[in-house]
Amino acid sequence: MPETEELEFLLRASQGDLDAFGVLYEKYVERIFNYVYYRTGNVHDAEDLSARVFYRALHHIHTYTDRGVPFSAWLYRIAHNLVANWHRDRSRHQEIPLSDAPTIHYKGEPPEVAVMQTQERDALLRLIRQLPSERQHLLILKFLEHMSNAEIGETMGRSEGAVKSLYHRTLLALRDEMMESDMEDANLQSFTGQSD
Amino acid sequence: MSSKMRQLADSSLEKIASLEKRLSGVLKPIKPRKEFVHGVAHRIHTGPQAAFVDRIANWHLVAIVIAGIFSLVVFLAVVGRVLQSLTKKRRMA
Repeated sequence: MPETEELEFLLRASQGDLDAFGVLYEKYVERIFNYVYYRTGNVHDAEDLSARVFYRALHHIHTYTDRGVPFSAWLYRIAHNLVANWHRDRSRHQEIPLSDAPTIHYKGEPPEVAVMQTQERDALLRLIRQLPSERQHLLILKFLEHMSNAEIGETMGRSEGAVKSLYHRTLLALRDEMMESDMEDANLQSFTGQSD
Repeated sequence: MSSKMRQLADSSLEKIASLEKRLSGVLKPIKPRKEFVHGVAHRIHTGPQAAFVDRIANWHLVAIVIAGIFSLVVFLAVVGRVLQSLTKKRRMA
């Protein structure tokens, strides 16, 4: 959808046109769902929170003003706040269940290799979810949306240089976390090996 | 830069590149269920009900407010009862 057409739908939606809002919903629902899914780690909550993002957007669309920031940035802001509330409500829980995470099937791989890849994927996702929320947001926009640093900056309200720097620091932090996690696993394995 | 430093820098860059590759393999778009997408679309088209559902979704906030009011009433009743018994005792004395 071209930007001018989207602006037109936005204008109509802000005047109470539900069909126009429906068009915007169709355009952004997958992106918001993915964002929420990777921030929460389960499909059920991702559906619940994604729905609430759009209900809230619909409720407040009349207050939306175009300040040169993409509409998606406004939706992401709502999603970010709802996910933050969700994490706050669940802060007593130590682990986020990944049992209902959709399994990605690796074609042509033997089952044991596929299981290892799934375990590696879950471990990496767990580490990503331990990052501060804006770093998670950045990784999602970078790898899911394939946005450039300038586009991410527009969405997150930061300069292109600040995004570049944050991205680099995020990768370094993630690398260190992974090395630490690998070392812990190795220690655990050697400990269980000794006790057997 | 010494060769040892360069080796360290190279290995660090390699690790970052491999991490980026792993991230692009892990963070893949997921399609939401059609029932979910159509269900929300339907609610959006029904309008005001959607906003109502959003408000109901904050039921825990409503519960906290009700519990707060109830606690305040109980607290005031206890304080009132204590004051009443104190004045009674004073009269008796």
